[in-house]
Amino acid sequence: MLTTASHKKVLHQLNRSFLNEVGGLSRFAGRFFNQAFRPRYEIAEFIRQCFVIGYKSLPLIGLTSFILGLVLTMQLRPSMVSYGVESQLPAIVGIAVIREIGPVITALIFAGKIGSSIGAELGSMRVTEQIDAMEVSGTNPFKYLVVTRVLAATLMLPILVLLGDAISLFGSWIGINIRGATSFHLYWTQVFDNLAFTDVLPAFFKSFFFGFAVGIIGCFKGYNSSKGTEGVGISANSAVVVSSIVIFILDLLAVQVTDALGLN
Amino acid sequence: MAKKVVSNVKLGVFVLAGLLFLVILLYMIGKNRNLFGSNYVLKARFENIQGLVTGNNVRFSGIQAGTVKRIDIINDTLIEVTMVIDKKMSKIIHKNAVASISTEGLVGNKVVNISPSKIPDALAKDDDILPVKKAVNTDEIMETLYNTNSDVAIIAAGLRTTVERINKSSALWNLLNDESIPENIRISFASIRSTTGKAVKIADDLDKIILGVKNGEGSLGAILKDTSLVKNLNDAILTINKVGNEADSVTVEINKLVKGVHEDVSQGKGTVNALLKDSMMVKKIEASLDNIQKGTDGFNSNMEALKHNFLFRGYFRKLEKQKKKAQ
Repeated sequence: MLTTASHKKVLHQLNRSFLNEVGGLSRFAGRFFNQAFRPRYEIAEFIRQCFVIGYKSLPLIGLTSFILGLVLTMQLRPSMVSYGVESQLPAIVGIAVIREIGPVITALIFAGKIGSSIGAELGSMRVTEQIDAMEVSGTNPFKYLVVTRVLAATLMLPILVLLGDAISLFGSWIGINIRGATSFHLYWTQVFDNLAFTDVLPAFFKSFFFGFAVGIIGCFKGYNSSKGTEGVGISANSAVVVSSIVIFILDLLAVQVTDALGLN
Repeated sequence: MAKKVVSNVKLGVFVLAGLLFLVILLYMIGKNRNLFGSNYVLKARFENIQGLVTGNNVRFSGIQAGTVKRIDIINDTLIEVTMVIDKKMSKIIHKNAVASISTEGLVGNKVVNISPSKIPDALAKDDDILPVKKAVNTDEIMETLYNTNSDVAIIAAGLRTTVERINKSSALWNLLNDESIPENIRISFASIRSTTGKAVKIADDLDKIILGVKNGEGSLGAILKDTSLVKNLNDAILTINKVGNEADSVTVEINKLVKGVHEDVSQGKGTVNALLKDSMMVKKIEASLDNIQKGTDGFNSNMEALKHNFLFRGYFRKLEKQKKKAQ
């Protein structure tokens, strides 16, 4: 059993560790903004990272989004039928997917795939001293490794969210037609009729922040990896965990901001 | 190098696909909100907008016509709703079209419905204020329902009394229990059916007669249809009239004659009076007639004697022969 003194000590260490992480991440983000807009720009590496982070994530995002739309529709259907508002199913699924579920689920899967990938890749480069070697050879490792990855993650996640939304809504249409019969045209008309700019634009803009969070946290964890090969695993794992938590926190902040602006 | 180009193309397609969906999404929403294309503004002033908000749909006879752009409070009893309407609707919506607020479905969004008037006015222009119809709200429905329920209760009480009276009525139950009634009704229906059959036959016959008359068959038909008969009848009536007129004048003459005779008789003058009243005259006439008879008899005897005379016998025989020839 912990005494009061030891209790305080543990809390102090936890706070110190947490604050240390927050401070380190903030400094890392500041360094990113400092480096991102200064030449020389690593265009080729940035495009390669966009391909790896964006295009190669599409199959996973597409599959999960399709299943998400289908399952969400089939789960909602009984409740909608019991209220006699089955015809509102496309509208409800459309709003749910575009506003919240699409961006958040896509960002979480993106964090799982890309966050861990970046964390492990940069972590292994750190522990094998490749980053140090780049510094010695005169290449700016931060610009080449971090800026390109963070920018690619920031710009690719919104594209993935949009495509994920489209695939998810298609899955929802399939889900509706498993039990009922709604034409493709009618389905999309009902979806668009009930959407507003205030549904699409806040969700689209917050996905940039989600992408940035996944990229910067993955890079931060990998770039500051230590303790050898074990550290690589820790970096990859903590990159996913922290990214996921930050995604939810950002989502909470986004809903507060949109509410405050009267966009809800 | 070739692999890098392929990767770049794939990335390009991926990014463009995502942006295309974003553009379609924004375009469709904008189209629904009348952000593209030309619009015009119509207004309506309500006492109660029942939770209508900006962005709610405006429908004209059920067709999507626009959206609610702005809601302004004019005073404590009047709220002005500004609606953005598709320019295409400017050729359809008239100044006297009526705006009302209703709900999409049972629990849906509020919507402004514009209904056309039966007698159209001039077309509505930009910033025109449409007349409004007060929407039925839930409280009013409940109040009506309460009144209806009260009426239903009264009707139910009346029905109950009626049913009780029916139940107590022995005459009605006797009637209902009488098993001969169905048989009698069946017979009555059979009679009605038979009578109806006869009536149909009579009607058919009448129809045929009327048809014959229409075609000018029979006396009645001839009367109704033959125009020459009418003329003949007219002529006959005219002749009868003429005869009647002449008969009148004859009657007048006869009256005058009778009157004259009557006067002669009454005054003891004239031949008639002598015939009717003078007994001597009658005797003289009788004597004269008697003499004539005697004279005639004598003449006949003389003629018979002449037939037998040898001078005239040949003449009389010749006459008899000619008479026989002629026969």
